[in-house]
Amino acid sequence: MVEEENIRVVRCGGSELNFRRAVFSADSKYIFCVSGDFVKVYSTVTEECVHILHGHRNLVTGIQLNPNNHLQLYSCSLDGTIKLWDYIDGILIKTFIVGCKLHALFTLAQAEDSVFVIVNKEKPDIFQLVSVKLPKSSSQEVEAKELSFVLDYINQSPKCIAFGNEGVYVAAVREFYLSVYFFKKKTTSRFTLSSSRNKKHAKNNFTCVACHPTEDCIASGHMDGKIRLWRNFYDDKKYTYTCLHWHHDMVMDLAFSVTGTSLLSGGRESVLVEWRDATEKNKEFLPRLGATIEHISVSPAGDLFCTSHSDNKIIIIHRNLEASAVIQGLVKDRSIFTGLMIDPRTKALVLNGKPGHLQFYSLQSDKQLYNLDIIQQEYINDYGLIQIELTKAAFGCFGNWLATVEQRQEKETELELQMKLWMYNKKTQGFILNTKINMPHEDCITALCFCNAEKSEQPTLVTASKDGYFKVWILTDDSDIYKKAVGWTCDFVGSYHKYQATNCCFSEDGSLLAVSFEEIVTIWDSITWELKCTFCQRAGKIRHLCFGRLTCSKYLLGATENGILCCWNLLSCALEWNAKLNVRVMEPDPNSENIAAISQSSVGSDLFVFKPSEPRPLYIQKGISREEVQWGVFVPRDVPESFTSEAYQWLNRSQFYFLTKSQSLLTFSTESPEEKLTPTSKQLLAEESLPTTPFYFILGKHRQQQDEKLNETLENELVQLPLTENIPAISELLHTPAHVLPSAAFLCSMFVNSLLLSKETKSAKEIPEDVDMEEEKESEDSDEENDFTKKVQDTSNTGLGEDIIHQLSKSEEKELRKFRKIDYSWIAAL
Amino acid sequence: MAAGGGGSCDPLAPAGVPCAFSPHSQAYFALASTDGHLRVWETANNRLHQEYVPSAHLSGTCTCLAWAPARLQAKESPQRKKRKSEAVGMSNQTDLLALGTAVGSILLYSTVKGELHSKLISGGHDNRVNCIQWHQDSGCLYSCSDDKHIVEWNVQTCKVKCKWKGDNSSVSSLCISPDGKMLLSAGRTIKLWVLETKEVYRHFTGHATPVSSLMFTTIRPPNESQPFDGITGLYFLSGAVHDRLLNVWQVRSENKEKSAVMSFTVTDEPVYIDLTLSENKEEPVKLAVVCRDGQVHLFEHILNGYCKKPLTSNCTIQIATPGKGKKSTPKPIPILAAGFCSDKMSLLLVYGSWFQPTIERVALNSREPHMCLVRDISNCWAPKVETAITKVRTPVMNSEAKVLVPGIPGHHAAIKPAPPQTEQVETKRKSGGNEVSIEERLGAMDIDTHKKGKEDLQTNSFPVLLTQGLESNDFEILNKVLQTRNVNLIKKTVLRMPLHTIIPLLQELTKRLQGHPNSAVLMVQWLKCVLTVHASYLSTLPDLVPQLGTLYQLMESRVKTFQKLSHLHGKLILLITQVTASEKTKGATSPGQKAKLVYEEESSEEESDDEIADKDSEDNWDEDEEESESEKDEDVEEEDEDAEGKDEENGEDRDTASEKELNGDSDLDPENESEEE
Repeated sequence: MVEEENIRVVRCGGSELNFRRAVFSADSKYIFCVSGDFVKVYSTVTEECVHILHGHRNLVTGIQLNPNNHLQLYSCSLDGTIKLWDYIDGILIKTFIVGCKLHALFTLAQAEDSVFVIVNKEKPDIFQLVSVKLPKSSSQEVEAKELSFVLDYINQSPKCIAFGNEGVYVAAVREFYLSVYFFKKKTTSRFTLSSSRNKKHAKNNFTCVACHPTEDCIASGHMDGKIRLWRNFYDDKKYTYTCLHWHHDMVMDLAFSVTGTSLLSGGRESVLVEWRDATEKNKEFLPRLGATIEHISVSPAGDLFCTSHSDNKIIIIHRNLEASAVIQGLVKDRSIFTGLMIDPRTKALVLNGKPGHLQFYSLQSDKQLYNLDIIQQEYINDYGLIQIELTKAAFGCFGNWLATVEQRQEKETELELQMKLWMYNKKTQGFILNTKINMPHEDCITALCFCNAEKSEQPTLVTASKDGYFKVWILTDDSDIYKKAVGWTCDFVGSYHKYQATNCCFSEDGSLLAVSFEEIVTIWDSITWELKCTFCQRAGKIRHLCFGRLTCSKYLLGATENGILCCWNLLSCALEWNAKLNVRVMEPDPNSENIAAISQSSVGSDLFVFKPSEPRPLYIQKGISREEVQWGVFVPRDVPESFTSEAYQWLNRSQFYFLTKSQSLLTFSTESPEEKLTPTSKQLLAEESLPTTPFYFILGKHRQQQDEKLNETLENELVQLPLTENIPAISELLHTPAHVLPSAAFLCSMFVNSLLLSKETKSAKEIPEDVDMEEEKESEDSDEENDFTKKVQDTSNTGLGEDIIHQLSKSEEKELRKFRKIDYSWIAAL
Repeated sequence: MAAGGGGSCDPLAPAGVPCAFSPHSQAYFALASTDGHLRVWETANNRLHQEYVPSAHLSGTCTCLAWAPARLQAKESPQRKKRKSEAVGMSNQTDLLALGTAVGSILLYSTVKGELHSKLISGGHDNRVNCIQWHQDSGCLYSCSDDKHIVEWNVQTCKVKCKWKGDNSSVSSLCISPDGKMLLSAGRTIKLWVLETKEVYRHFTGHATPVSSLMFTTIRPPNESQPFDGITGLYFLSGAVHDRLLNVWQVRSENKEKSAVMSFTVTDEPVYIDLTLSENKEEPVKLAVVCRDGQVHLFEHILNGYCKKPLTSNCTIQIATPGKGKKSTPKPIPILAAGFCSDKMSLLLVYGSWFQPTIERVALNSREPHMCLVRDISNCWAPKVETAITKVRTPVMNSEAKVLVPGIPGHHAAIKPAPPQTEQVETKRKSGGNEVSIEERLGAMDIDTHKKGKEDLQTNSFPVLLTQGLESNDFEILNKVLQTRNVNLIKKTVLRMPLHTIIPLLQELTKRLQGHPNSAVLMVQWLKCVLTVHASYLSTLPDLVPQLGTLYQLMESRVKTFQKLSHLHGKLILLITQVTASEKTKGATSPGQKAKLVYEEESSEEESDDEIADKDSEDNWDEDEEESESEKDEDVEEEDEDAEGKDEENGEDRDTASEKELNGDSDLDPENESEEE
């Protein structure tokens, strides 16, 4: 049972991954990306998140590998700190406090112990590139206040800054000019595009810049899709540039390959273009990447590229332009129309995904399962195109049916509407289109719901539309002499005084249908489709409508736009209670009577959980989110929890997830923060001990012989070197995390002392080695004796040689003495 | 998780490939196939997550595998302040997978990093590893081998902690007790070891063949009142190679007998076993046994003491192909593994071939004794790399899907007559009347045609043909008649149609209108004529609304644009043409055939009765009908508009509708008359 703490709001569902360029590790095994306040470390092979580096208190704005130690990573954040991480183990090594908001981070191998950051000093939109000297200090938190100014009036985005040709110069672009600062000369040259004065060509402002790694060449991307390669820019007059033009829209990012032979560019076309030898002729393309390319990065080893996309994914691409892996968070590109649903079959969260797709997101493993292509049309990435949008979707009959509504509206009168009904085919384990309905209504469909009553013989679907009608669709037998088939047909069309139908909802047993027409709620009998009664509170248009469940099934709840929550009793046809609550989201729990409502106020969103039978809420949590909450859903738990306290009981059988306007998926957790915050290292803390390869054997044999020769001459000081692991002081120094070590000055004498040879340690070392050999022999002996067990001494666990001596029992000492007498001359013969 | 042994030529080796579900949420399924590849599948979306080929995959094939228990907490927990919203950690994330090989080495593979983590060789086995078990919490690993030894490994250091001889023959299976203090091992006999001292605690008889699987089935003793030492009273299960019986044993005090408490019988050698642990006395143990013949047997039993008779399964699950066509018979699809989901109410089934298995979650229905699932796996034979990366699934959209567009029946609710009681009466009457009259009319029809044929051969036989076509539903005849483009011909034909064929004609026209737009263009001419000529007849029909409901809806939907204008236009056309037509035809004698149809005097009386009864509704029909006619006319207009060049005409039409119509009719009607004459 989980320890009951306060219910807290926690984020889940793959937060934003495409905020900044991703960074590869030196061996291309890992890829780092910033994600909110965290840095995530992914494996490039398995797409799995290996570590989450948390420690920053605000948005992380930049990450770079430490150029002096490729196993370390720098990150900077809006909280004004630069942190140094050991990404293999996920440990924070050091924090440098700069003090002002940092907007981007650059490192340079040539500039030792200083990094470059973008800060804004006085005015809100004036940014500067400064270099920060990182002081060498053993303490974990260091103040780094030594800033030296490099460039002024630059663009905030890190894409507009590039360091070139081994740090000889830095190039920055903003609007219509390119500035190049030469570190040695300490001069800035500025190149303005000639056409900038001319309003006609106003679209050629700079968007990004990249520098050739070895040559003096700067590539800049422009709004109009051109790429310019600047050369000879040492001279203000004689500079030249060439143009590469393929993109028809803004160039979003540029990157040179490690050797500089090719240039990569990408933009809204979702095509990665590789320009070979910087010529217009030699182009290679990787098309159909799905969404706008926002960032491109290249691994230091040169074997991989990666592109970050606007739909929150990172594609890892091989050098030969083949996508090899996709790290996909919750797709966040577009607005969510469908709301949050649960697929009864896979228990996955379903919502709008890629354009024209429904995404299935597994909440258990926090991973996208797949995208279901509903519209099945090639998506054209271009600005200003009116696309077909997937606006509504609903699952029915335990996941056997899926209804989707797609719509495209170019002008007010030109509405294209299509409803598709998909049947889940068990044989092929996939959805098959059963019925396609063109223009099911004259106007937009506002609500879609299946009758999910357990005993209903006939699947029933209701659509409500702005055209003032609601339609009831039923599944009928369409068999003829050629085939057996079922299909959906319209069974009933209802309306109420030409009001727009805004919501519809079936009661739990499916006997009643509630349809709201603007301010009026109508109740229909689902067998005869007779209007049973109407409720009208004149309190504004109904925004949400739902029936109570289980013991509260006699209640109907409606939330209006004027901020009134009404509860009607269906037996007495009277208003039971109402409350003043500006409800944004109202969701019933499928497993209990509880209903969750999220209200919106100017301060933030508040959660209320209540039962329709009593107006007093079971649970209130204020301020669950600062932004507007758009959708919510109860997700049934696989294994029910057993919270006893009243405030948490509503979480026993289901979990509540909600989606805010900025599309972060949040949920409530009762587990203590420590438990949730320390999952970072997923591996067992097992040491990596990889066996020797055949290559090693060839080399190793030679080495071993050498070693043994050296063993013979123990007097030689060099002998100790391979054995340094056994010296406790050294091993301690090497295995303790750097941040817990005492100062170097203190350690130094100890360390040097430990390296010195002393008579005692040597003898102590000899003995444990003997013990090893002897015991192995013993264990071999024991093999013959049945059921005789013997523990093998684990030498690496022993801290000090002296300890081992103490551990030896008397009998063992006796045997040791015996061994001493044995002639070891045979070793030399080996 | 039980792992089956590796398949090899050894007759006493267990059947089936080594495979296992990852612990906790069963997010992954690892399968080490006989070609030496390790493949890890995502169970939720049936996607190949990763593939790994050990360097020595040909010499040392994988014989067994086991997932490491999930790590919940890392050792170092960085200190931080509470934040408003922090990320949900991926707790329960599993990583390490231990693989035993035929040469005695054990590989630890990291599924997060996708690479070999470490290799346990030194001081380990020198023969085939038969079973690997992770200790729940101590970070130890136990392995047993054909070299008769059991080895305890320290995973953190990758070194042997202890190695002891486990049996006189090879040790084939291991299991750790729920409290983590005891270890079961089995060659042919089963031994229970105390892990601390490595001494034998109990002996059990075991099986005649090597034991392939061992599992504890309970975590609490059946008798709760006695003090529980962690092991006494617990049940465990064993399955053996070539043995169709699974034995259940109970750990009891030393002097008691060592034979099995009870047994479960299955149809073939068990390959993969999974069970749900019962947490209290009342809850039955659920057991899923996958047999070598590809079936799954489910058992549900409350373990309480002896049972002599072997228990048979509560439910058997089989999977078969659908068997396309009549000739091919359904073929069974072998099930490779089955694991209970965490809710204990559904089962994850892995079936198909081992290089491309399908993983499906099946809800259990304990009432059915036999479940046969029909699955079509023919389309998932070829692994698709593309979809594996893009994760896009395309649902099938084939031509068999029903398409509903506005106007097609089913798109809108069918129009039903308002008072249901009267409708019943009417239909009775109608049907009765029809049955009698059809014969008579058919007879009359024959005579008609003969007569006509004799009378005037030169007049067009279109009305006759059409009537015949409508009666017989002969497509050829109907096509021949209805596909004419000559407006005059259409008009004449319609004029001469017997009244009783009007409704069938309209229905035929409606059907054709719903079809291809090209044919609809032609049909519109017909429809226009029928409605203008026979409006008066149609308005007398009592059941017009249900009969022409679909036509009405069709027209309604087709004239959505400029709806009101087209209504007006249609009404005007109707009125004017009828007025002019009546004026012109005053002098002309009505065709002789009309008289022939009037002979149904009785029915006309009835109809008049109806008319009196339903006068109000009749008005409605009139309205409806007029509307429909008008819309139809507008439809014509639309079609015309489509065909370029007639735009002007239409424009004029709207402006001076009446005039135009008068002119038009005056053009047409004289011709009619002349021909009739």
